[in-house]
Amino acid sequence: MKISEGLKVIEKGWIIKPKGYRVKYQKLINSELITEYSPDLEAEPLDSDVVAWRYAWKLYMATKSDLPEINDGELINIFVVDDSDNPVKYYTTNQLEVFNRREINV
Amino acid sequence: MDGFSVKIAQMESTMSLYGREVVIAFAVIVFGLILIKWINQGLKRVFKKLPISPAKGATVRNIITVVMSAALISFVAIQLGLAPRPVVRFLAILTLGVIGLVVVFRPLIPSLPFKVGNTVKIGNLLGKIEATTILNTQMRTFDGKTFFVPNRQILNDIVINYHFSDNRRIKINVGIRYDQDLMKAKQILESIMIEDPRVKPKPGPVVYVLNLTNNCVELGGRCWVDNMKYWVTKCDLLEKTKYRFDNEGIAIAFPQLDVNYYNKSDLPVCTDQNRLQGHGVAFESTIEEDRIC
Repeated sequence: MKISEGLKVIEKGWIIKPKGYRVKYQKLINSELITEYSPDLEAEPLDSDVVAWRYAWKLYMATKSDLPEINDGELINIFVVDDSDNPVKYYTTNQLEVFNRREINV
Repeated sequence: MDGFSVKIAQMESTMSLYGREVVIAFAVIVFGLILIKWINQGLKRVFKKLPISPAKGATVRNIITVVMSAALISFVAIQLGLAPRPVVRFLAILTLGVIGLVVVFRPLIPSLPFKVGNTVKIGNLLGKIEATTILNTQMRTFDGKTFFVPNRQILNDIVINYHFSDNRRIKINVGIRYDQDLMKAKQILESIMIEDPRVKPKPGPVVYVLNLTNNCVELGGRCWVDNMKYWVTKCDLLEKTKYRFDNEGIAIAFPQLDVNYYNKSDLPVCTDQNRLQGHGVAFESTIEEDRIC
């Protein structure tokens, strides 16, 4: 196998570069759980997982409440996904992380 | 009549003949210049809102200003009684002459190695070029200060223009302790760079062992990114490196100094053989001289 062929194997098998990142979250509107993304699926995704996770954390901090029930406008189950909608590991812990995790039974 | 009185009389006759036209021409020039300046400022505001680069906007504004100034001069000359055709001819010849001179002597004219909007480093100043004039260059540094750098100084100094190349190489240098798994650390650092979407696949990221220093094994990660994404990508990669090393149990080295303490009885006896082998270094002055090598 030539070096160039070997590099192609590495590129296909190991180097999985996401094209971008989005913050995925859920929101309760009229007792209905809606899943949304930020930025929207039509818009350009963020190019940095660091920025995406910081953004997710800020959304969580801005909308969280201490009440057990979910308020209108509160964002729950906030995490970062790549362009294929796969969850992205939180870079600080190298684990899958979800901000404001809630189990919903609607 | 003396000479002065004659001159006054001549001026009187001239003013009585052409005075009205001169006053009108003067008023037109003043009003015209104010109007041109006002239009220029209006265009500047409009171009800021349009999706065009500041350099292109400035060029278009300059062309419009020159055309308006030429039209104003022609109008004033005609107001003063000159025939329109010679005025237009003169301006056309003048324009062609200036263009010809610029084309011929352009390679010899020292020009600034940047355009408005470029990010450059001039000497110790790093910032964005906001405007250039014949005398100086207005530059805004990233901490918000505006510097007016004389062009003479720029032409004599080393200038780095970060817009000349599309890509830029990032250096991630990190030192790990000697007792750490070097291969694992290399793999982690390489993975961090490879997995980042902003890092270019070609040339691919690489990790070198740069140095074996007193305190650490120094690793150097190298990868290429878009020029415009250099700074943020570098900061992100450094942050991710710290966290991933922490999570994977790779300890980043701190400056350290090992001090070996010997008891008096443990010190080797000073013999020629020990001296040659470099044994027994003592720091205390109370130690017997024959034990110190």
